[in-house]
Amino acid sequence: MAENKQPPGPFDVRTVRELVELMDKFDLSEVDLNDGGQRIRLRRGGRLVATTPALLTTPALAPTAIPSTNSQPIAPPPPAAPSRKLLEIKSELVGTFYAKPAPDKEDYVKVGSRVSPDTVVCKVEAMKIFNDITAKCTGTIAEICVQNGQFVEFDQVLFRVEPA
Amino acid sequence: MFQRVLIANRGEIALRVIRACRDLGVGVVAVYSTADRGAPWLALADEAVCIGPPPAAESYLKVPRIIAAGEKTNVDALHPGYGFLAENADFAEMCRECNIEFIGPPHEAMRKLGNKNEAKKIARQAKVPLVPGSDGLITTEDEALKVARQIGYPVLIKAAAGGGGRGMRVARNDHSLVAGYQSARQEAEAAFKDGSVFLEKYLEQPRHIEVQLLGDQHGNMIHLYERDCSLQRRHQKLVEESPAPNLPSRTRDEMCKAAVRLARQAGYYNAGTCEFLVDRQNNFYFIEVNSRIQVEHPVTELVTGIDLVREQIRIAAGEKLKIRQSDVVQRGWAIECRINAEDPSNNFQPSAGTITRWQSPGGPGIRLDTQAVAGYRVPPNYDSLVAKLLSHQPTRAEAIAVMRRALGEFVVEGIRTTIPIHQKIFSTSAFVDGQVDTTFIERVFLGQGASEPGM
Repeated sequence: MAENKQPPGPFDVRTVRELVELMDKFDLSEVDLNDGGQRIRLRRGGRLVATTPALLTTPALAPTAIPSTNSQPIAPPPPAAPSRKLLEIKSELVGTFYAKPAPDKEDYVKVGSRVSPDTVVCKVEAMKIFNDITAKCTGTIAEICVQNGQFVEFDQVLFRVEPA
Repeated sequence: MFQRVLIANRGEIALRVIRACRDLGVGVVAVYSTADRGAPWLALADEAVCIGPPPAAESYLKVPRIIAAGEKTNVDALHPGYGFLAENADFAEMCRECNIEFIGPPHEAMRKLGNKNEAKKIARQAKVPLVPGSDGLITTEDEALKVARQIGYPVLIKAAAGGGGRGMRVARNDHSLVAGYQSARQEAEAAFKDGSVFLEKYLEQPRHIEVQLLGDQHGNMIHLYERDCSLQRRHQKLVEESPAPNLPSRTRDEMCKAAVRLARQAGYYNAGTCEFLVDRQNNFYFIEVNSRIQVEHPVTELVTGIDLVREQIRIAAGEKLKIRQSDVVQRGWAIECRINAEDPSNNFQPSAGTITRWQSPGGPGIRLDTQAVAGYRVPPNYDSLVAKLLSHQPTRAEAIAVMRRALGEFVVEGIRTTIPIHQKIFSTSAFVDGQVDTTFIERVFLGQGASEPGM
């Protein structure tokens, strides 16, 4: 995007970069800025979402563009393209993601852990109930997309798995 | 006032509530199903949380996920909109137990009014007229004849366990009553394994008129006058207006007062609607209370100048009503057309799909509440309402003229809509004269007789 020679894009790359650095520095999981015509929304942990009215030409940063008052057909958001064909373990619940069974315990899985369909990979807490989430696939954990204690929504990718 | 409100709904009503929150400076969390991912209203919320797959039972009706979304995003209140969980008393109670105020009536009142028998009891206590009928179940033919002569023909024979017109019969004399009584019993027995029936006076070509109510948690209850919602097709409202045309002012006053009495009797607060059937002699009879904001609420907003959704939020936050009954005045005439994604030329089949062209009307006297834009995809999973087109003018004739102009400007391509049938309605002399009742659409446009149950 920094190399983009198109007319001025909807947001400044430097602003985004600064925001990402700030998020890192202060351990923020999400930043959502709205300034009249433009909106920048950043989320850490494998999900990066930027939204802006699509009347402006949007460079390829945004895996999920939520158009507001545009006149173009609303295309389904293209998924963030992983480099390999990885399987995804998605959240079936809305709640808080827990990587470990208890604060003093080890994480259920780490990058490189082998999983089978019944392997518990994390818990999602909703309304004080801790629900075990199983892998439902076989392979090796390639990426953990969310952080311990993070709020996750339905259909959010929690892990990517290298198929066995 | 609340800090953040979660909107447990979608479409135009989600947008309507977002706007009210913005007006009040309250933060907004939207929830959505994967079928609504990328929908235009979501971009206007401060945060949007995906709660489930397209089927409503797994998303917009999925209580634990909605409450979890509210808890995790730190909302202090929830607006249910209409439909989905709006009239679910258990849900309202659960929200409140989780310290999320339900923007609506007390769950105790919702529960009572949601039960037909309980609601009738409250109406009786409040001296609000009910459709005359048998007080309980009818067990013999002789009893049926006695009650029918007492309330006067025509009468409706209804299955106690019934619904959707099954087990219903209209009787116009002793002879058809005896025949109808037997067959209604048999039909009900077969359909519901319960052959008990009761009798009710059958109202011919009644009007459907409802009274808007607004009450706070401090004992103030006012009405915002009436809406005539007689133009329906299969109990789905198509056109609503306020004031009700050709309604004597004495009847209007009595209905409004009756609605307030009933709401007080039920211990009600927040916004609600008391529905009545009105017969040709302008007698009115209580049907039910809708304990939610209604689709057609903007009609009342235009005529009274009161923002109902903002008032709902203020009332839920514990504020006192600033409006007194004497402040409420009906100014001019407002009419609403429901623009649904349906094909009126093909038996109103739902018409989901992507809107390729959306040229909306505007100008003096027009209000348009819609979630749609060009490129918006109407998902097949939910209600077909895509827009509410309203006109507001000093007189009914002017409101009709402005609506005709707006319908003519409205161009929608890619999906079929109810715009053509509205154009027909607004050029029909009976409608222009205000001669409407609940059988109007079927009688005038669909070439069917007044649909009588069981006939």
